Amino acid sequence: MKTETSLNKAQPAAQKRRVVSPAVDIHESREAFLLVADLPGVVKEDLNIHLDRGELSFEGLRRPRPHGSLVSGENGEFVFRRVFTLPGGIDADKIQAELSAGVLRLTLPKAQALKPRTITVQSA
Amino acid sequence: MFYRWSDLDRAFPTYDDLRKQVFHLFNEIDSQQATAGSLPVSVFDSGAALVLAADVPGLTEKDIQVSLTQDVLTIQGERRLAPLEGYTAHRQERSTLKFSRSFALPFKADVERSTAVVKDGVLTLTLARVPEAQPRTIPVNAA
Repeated sequence: MKTETSLNKAQPAAQKRRVVSPAVDIHESREAFLLVADLPGVVKEDLNIHLDRGELSFEGLRRPRPHGSLVSGENGEFVFRRVFTLPGGIDADKIQAELSAGVLRLTLPKAQALKPRTITVQSA
Repeated sequence: MFYRWSDLDRAFPTYDDLRKQVFHLFNEIDSQQATAGSLPVSVFDSGAALVLAADVPGLTEKDIQVSLTQDVLTIQGERRLAPLEGYTAHRQERSTLKFSRSFALPFKADVERSTAVVKDGVLTLTLARVPEAQPRTIPVNAA
């Protein structure tokens, strides 16, 4: 989860950029939480995911590729940012992030203690 | 005086109707913008070509159709979200997308040299101008 990128170094410029909240889906299974976010135009190198004291945040910079002079713009250069407070019992070391086709999928596995388990009844 | 009051009384429902109609009109405009907003597009001009960049997160080349008839460009696409096996949803902001957007081009595009590429959730369309439509410089000669 250590994805320190150039985004942090370029902080003064980044502050001026428009911040957009991306659409996010959150799913839960017995094993894990799954967070899916739409980040069109963001590449791996420009995506920054942070976990700090139970707070999960991600920030993705989208740079429009220069194609000439802008005629009309509805989806320019901005930063996608979102912060979540995680429930307890997430196995932070096993968090996985995958970015494909502009969609981020974060898998947050539950710690062993949180998983449901069946207790077998033993006869005396 | 009485006449005026009754005039006013009659006028109110008329105003009310008008107000409703105006509100309805605004609602319609809003909903149209919402549909257009599902496919945000930026347009660039590079001289030799017009470049369109559209946000299509999660879509691959199979989900997008681009058609060009005369000078009207249409982008169509659909994203279905398959329910995840064994998962329950806590938050669902991403939706199934279905869009169709048309653009009237200011020139005839050269279909042979035009390209459409989808990468990182962005569709980039490069519409090459036919040679006649390309800007050219006319040298100014001294008389």
